[in-house]
Amino acid sequence: MEKGNVFVGWSINEEVRKRGGSGGLVTSVLAAALDKKLVDAVVVLKKINEFEAVPVITSDVDEVLNSAGSLHSVPSNFAKLIADKGMRIAVPGKGCDVRAIIEQGKRNAVNLDNTFIIGLNCGGSMHPAVTREMLETVYNIKPDDVEGEEIEKGKLIFKTKDGQEHGITIDELEEKGYGRRESCRYCAIKIPANADLACGNWGVTGDLAGRATFVEVNSEKGAKLLQNAIDAGMVEVKEPEAKGIAIRGKIKGVMEDLAGKWKDKVFEPVDDRLALFRKELENCIDCGACKTVCPTCSCGEVSKCTQYHSRADGYKMSMFHLTRFLHLADSCIGCGQCTDVCPADIPLTRLYRRFANPVQDELGYEPGMDMRKPPYFEVKLND
Amino acid sequence: MSPDATPDTGKWEPKIVAFCCNWCSYGGADSAGMGRFQQPPTARIIRVMCSGRIDPIHVFNAFLEGADAVLVTGCHIGDCHYVNGNDKTKIKYKFLEDVVRELGLEKERLYLNWISASEGEKFANFIRDVTEEVKKIGPSPLKPEGVA
Repeated sequence: MEKGNVFVGWSINEEVRKRGGSGGLVTSVLAAALDKKLVDAVVVLKKINEFEAVPVITSDVDEVLNSAGSLHSVPSNFAKLIADKGMRIAVPGKGCDVRAIIEQGKRNAVNLDNTFIIGLNCGGSMHPAVTREMLETVYNIKPDDVEGEEIEKGKLIFKTKDGQEHGITIDELEEKGYGRRESCRYCAIKIPANADLACGNWGVTGDLAGRATFVEVNSEKGAKLLQNAIDAGMVEVKEPEAKGIAIRGKIKGVMEDLAGKWKDKVFEPVDDRLALFRKELENCIDCGACKTVCPTCSCGEVSKCTQYHSRADGYKMSMFHLTRFLHLADSCIGCGQCTDVCPADIPLTRLYRRFANPVQDELGYEPGMDMRKPPYFEVKLND
Repeated sequence: MSPDATPDTGKWEPKIVAFCCNWCSYGGADSAGMGRFQQPPTARIIRVMCSGRIDPIHVFNAFLEGADAVLVTGCHIGDCHYVNGNDKTKIKYKFLEDVVRELGLEKERLYLNWISASEGEKFANFIRDVTEEVKKIGPSPLKPEGVA
């Protein structure tokens, strides 16, 4: 097994297959890595209810096996959780998690040599509070009755306790302002090719559809991780059909086109941008939560953006925001964490991306996709 | 009459903050005076040891304190007293420029220029040109209330 291989695989464990979304491959790979001492710990989501879960670092194989299954309404980011832990760790994650971990790696907060990253296909995640509201107003079902959710053929399907399925297309939901988080709608990283393994159900065809996971091996580390799980007898893999690979490419293309359309829609050119920024930011309460969660920031407690900022200055814009704009112009990965945590409901990701989109396009720099240092840190720019 | 209006006209005069490096452009400003090149009294010069020391935060602070334009000046590329300080200025300026433009400030409000210690006339002309441009577009939208 080497870099560049693709497989279709599934878990041997019956229980994991039943609970996991697509054959439970990722769960078993994580469990095998822990079991065979390839890593000291893994990160899993500990489920609280259908809409909420907390990411935890665990060394308990049973806890890993119990975490099988996907949750679309948990927009957490694992990068800062595993920062400065100093142990060998395996992390599953969406495209933005993977980019965030690589950015933390560049800033010496995560040792990437000791970190195994399993990327998951992601078409977008949802905010838990918005999902609850959507269930009540659009689906007309009680959020507490929900017993499972699934995304299939562009429809978001909720299963209730009485066994019924309620499906509405995501396009329709997004027209009403629900559905995926805004940053997910225009995110163009649907298959995380920057992770060690890229897994997901896109490209699984025939009898295996829904019962297996498509795996791309993207690095030596990834090959080691998957081989370990096969040797441990916890997963089985086989060659994918040519048709499956084509379908995978097609889904990726469709999703990226859709993301491009959203991008044009969200980032309409505005003439008086200064007025726009001042208006959006006028409710800021200076709590700093956006900076605390930001996975491309590793300044810690003492940082320029918070140090040189005081409301008493009476400036028309806060120094904090200007410094953040500057920093994120080259580093923003568009994960949407800042918008999620903002207690004043400021659409921060949208504002940061307004700076990041043109700058990153111009420099040809995509943060979190490879090990290239942010251009701001370079000594000389190539003219 | 506000303290910044010129006595004879009472018209608004722009405030320009010019960051000059100790070895070249500050010398350039000096030789502009020595050579008696006329320039409007709009520039406030801040001397730094090297243009590479100019942090984008300094420029933001100048705007927030009420500057109508900010000039970043240093030695010509290759002439830096500290070998490659102005290469770093160039990188920082590129980001700063992108962010300041996207923020919605006019392009006439921020300049980068390389001026050597002997180019007094260039310095004077530069200040004159910038003053003219800024006069056309008026006071900065980031100027705090109550600042002329």
